[in-house]
Amino acid sequence: MASDAKLSHTAAMILQAIDAGFVYGFSVMEMTGLPSGTVYPAMRRLESDNLIRSQWEKQSIADAEQRPARKYYKLTATGRSTLEASRRRYPLLERMIPSEETESK
Amino acid sequence: MKPPFGWVFRVFDQCLLRSASVLVPGEQRSEWQQEWKAELWHVRQACAPTAAVSLKAEEAITAFCLGAFQDALYLRRGSRRKGTRLALMHGSAWHCLFWLAAVLAVSYTIANISAGVIAERHPEHYRVRSNLILIQDAHDTGDWAATIPVERYRSWKRMHQEYFDDLAFYRIQHETLSAGGDSGGVRAVGHGSANLFALLGLSVGSKDAGNSAGNSEPRLIVSYDAWKRDFGSNPHLINSLIRVGERRVRVAGVAPYGAWRLPGEADAWMLEPDSAIAAGAAGYVLAHMTPSVRSEMWNERVYITVHEADGSDEDFWGISFEERTQGPWGIYLFTVMLSFLSLPALTSVAIADYSFSSHQPSWTRNVIRWAFLGGKIIFLLAITYFLSLDLAYFSSTRYSPGASGVQFIFSFFICVFGLRWAVLDQRQRCPVCLRRVTHPARVGLASRTFLAWNGTELMCTGGHTLLHVPGLPTSWFDAPRWVYLDSSWKFLFAE
Repeated sequence: MASDAKLSHTAAMILQAIDAGFVYGFSVMEMTGLPSGTVYPAMRRLESDNLIRSQWEKQSIADAEQRPARKYYKLTATGRSTLEASRRRYPLLERMIPSEETESK
Repeated sequence: MKPPFGWVFRVFDQCLLRSASVLVPGEQRSEWQQEWKAELWHVRQACAPTAAVSLKAEEAITAFCLGAFQDALYLRRGSRRKGTRLALMHGSAWHCLFWLAAVLAVSYTIANISAGVIAERHPEHYRVRSNLILIQDAHDTGDWAATIPVERYRSWKRMHQEYFDDLAFYRIQHETLSAGGDSGGVRAVGHGSANLFALLGLSVGSKDAGNSAGNSEPRLIVSYDAWKRDFGSNPHLINSLIRVGERRVRVAGVAPYGAWRLPGEADAWMLEPDSAIAAGAAGYVLAHMTPSVRSEMWNERVYITVHEADGSDEDFWGISFEERTQGPWGIYLFTVMLSFLSLPALTSVAIADYSFSSHQPSWTRNVIRWAFLGGKIIFLLAITYFLSLDLAYFSSTRYSPGASGVQFIFSFFICVFGLRWAVLDQRQRCPVCLRRVTHPARVGLASRTFLAWNGTELMCTGGHTLLHVPGLPTSWFDAPRWVYLDSSWKFLFAE
């Protein structure tokens, strides 16, 4: 998908949440207020469009914390530039989900 | 401490996830379950951290689990989209070669389980010496009729032979064939001269069997069918004594399946000296010609006049039976040659390759294109061989002239129509990607033929070319033409 591709507001919110450091499905749900039936399929779609990529957490970390290992998501370079375009399209996006960079400014 | 009855909700949530996982494509299911179970653990930790059972928290957790169904459905639809991508293969070169390979595999498999085809594919079992003929009374109009009495054969054997190296005799009669103490059954037994199989050049049976000192019994060659049916595939049958009618004979060997191709079917052949063959019904005389007689043959026949001792002349036909022993390969090669010669009569063999533009496909594309045509033809030739044999021996387990005729007909028609299809198919394949062009559209008006072309336009789904087929050939547009599309058209053909 091209970097200037237009994302829906929901997809842009999920992308913004991941960029803001909410890298697990449930944390994205909590941050955006979207239900699981929206967030997970949207993340699959973003991943298949190469805007985000997923990676399993190391089992040793999960074992140390006595919990199951989770799958976390990260923005790709294409995803980052698409998010930039989406921020211009949806100016309130950053206010709704401030990213770490924005907060530090 | 875990809340009482909390396990009921946990089991319920697990059941929801497990039910949803059924919708997930098999290859993704394991990872999908792992992710949702991990997320569920965290959701439960976040929503119901306390010991008390909270219906509000369980409701939120269940709502989370219900979302798994939407996720699973999304993945299922995604796998269907992959299926759609596979469907785009439809009409591609690989798709075509795949189907040809599948037909070849099926016909080859059938050929390997059909007894008749297996026998046909082993010519070493039935191929006989060249220059052999069967002698038949010229007054008998039927082909392959037994017309020569054994007395006449003996008299010919005694005479000096100028045109034949050797002669052999056989006739078929029905007698009881019994082994050991059983009464046996009535079988067709060929009574032949001792040199019958040697003259044919068939290496059947042990030469020592029955000829060793002290063994005065005639030798018996048992057919493969009789060996299986009447002797239970006994591996120790050779050299044993069995009864044919009232006589004791020694089994000298078992003929391979389908080895006997001459007229008259026999379950066994009793080989004995000429003088021991009893007078009776007429039989067949087999002769090996000298090269001088071979040159006299016309239409696989030679006319023979025998001057008898009493001064009279008797006329006979010497009929070659090579067609019975040449095997399927000769028929196949002949029909393939015939098909290639007939093809131009059925369709134009020119592969349309004209272009309006100056663009031409690269030489590698041309090589691939011709290799694809070559591949199709190779597959077709192999399919022709096996499928024609399968059809010829569909209802026949052994050689017969009828089966040979059926093989000839099917081999010719499969090959000629297969080649016709290969050429027509090639003409409708995009020179760039080898997909079949589709979506035919009428272009122009017939009434404006001399002002602009009219006909059918077909399109490569890959967006490489258009094929223009003129509706009415004219001097300036008489053959289909390829129009190459440049990259500016690509956005219309996104896959």
